[in-house]
Amino acid sequence: MDSPCTRPPCFRKAERPQLCSLLPAPHPLGMAATGVLSKELVSRLLHVHFKDDKTKVSGDALQLMAELLKIFVVEAAVRGVRQAQAEDAILVDVDQLEKVLPQLLLDF
Amino acid sequence: MEEEAEAEEQQRFSYQQRLKAAVHYTVGCLCEEVALDKGMQFSRQTIAAISELTFRQCENFAKDLEMFARHARRTTINTEDVKLLARRSDSLLKYITDKSEEITHINLERKARKKKKSEDGNHNSRELAEAGVVESEQ
Repeated sequence: MDSPCTRPPCFRKAERPQLCSLLPAPHPLGMAATGVLSKELVSRLLHVHFKDDKTKVSGDALQLMAELLKIFVVEAAVRGVRQAQAEDAILVDVDQLEKVLPQLLLDF
Repeated sequence: MEEEAEAEEQQRFSYQQRLKAAVHYTVGCLCEEVALDKGMQFSRQTIAAISELTFRQCENFAKDLEMFARHARRTTINTEDVKLLARRSDSLLKYITDKSEEITHINLERKARKKKKSEDGNHNSRELAEAGVVESEQ
């Protein structure tokens, strides 16, 4: 006899949102500006907020953080554009940015 | 002394302002690229807002990274900590993980090339030294 499905009500795995800027595109975004965020700037940005003076950051981690921050900015920008396009706006203004902000912050 | 504390506070403030300005410039460059690519302009306020946002997000990142490293009983933040930061989005995590491997690979290659160069350099200077010794003995 077939046992009835005893699994709990299906929680369809909440679709983790894709990052717009990373979706395959003819020109992967922000790839040209890889050098814009210098390791030094990233290092200074992080050190301002460290509680412990002894905390250090490895070179590789700095490079990776530079990538992460770049993605953060590009993602904010691209989502802003998508919102503006959806609203038929002529440019991306703070109103559009406000709408994409909550999900952006949840994704990071 | 209160004056000293105030002066220090002022210094900290102007340092942060300079950092914010640097972030603002970077954000401007990146948004310019996006604008060109998508054919949609950004208002000045939007760029300022994104730049403020990025600066604040750095605070969260920095504190988290410090905590992660401390949790692992380390004082130096490494790439594993950064990967942990990117855990909330699958595509982000994958991208960061791939980038991490790329960076490690590039740095290893660079080290290997440097090592080879210095070894060759030592080899050459040793040869020269030996040649010099032979000559002087004659």
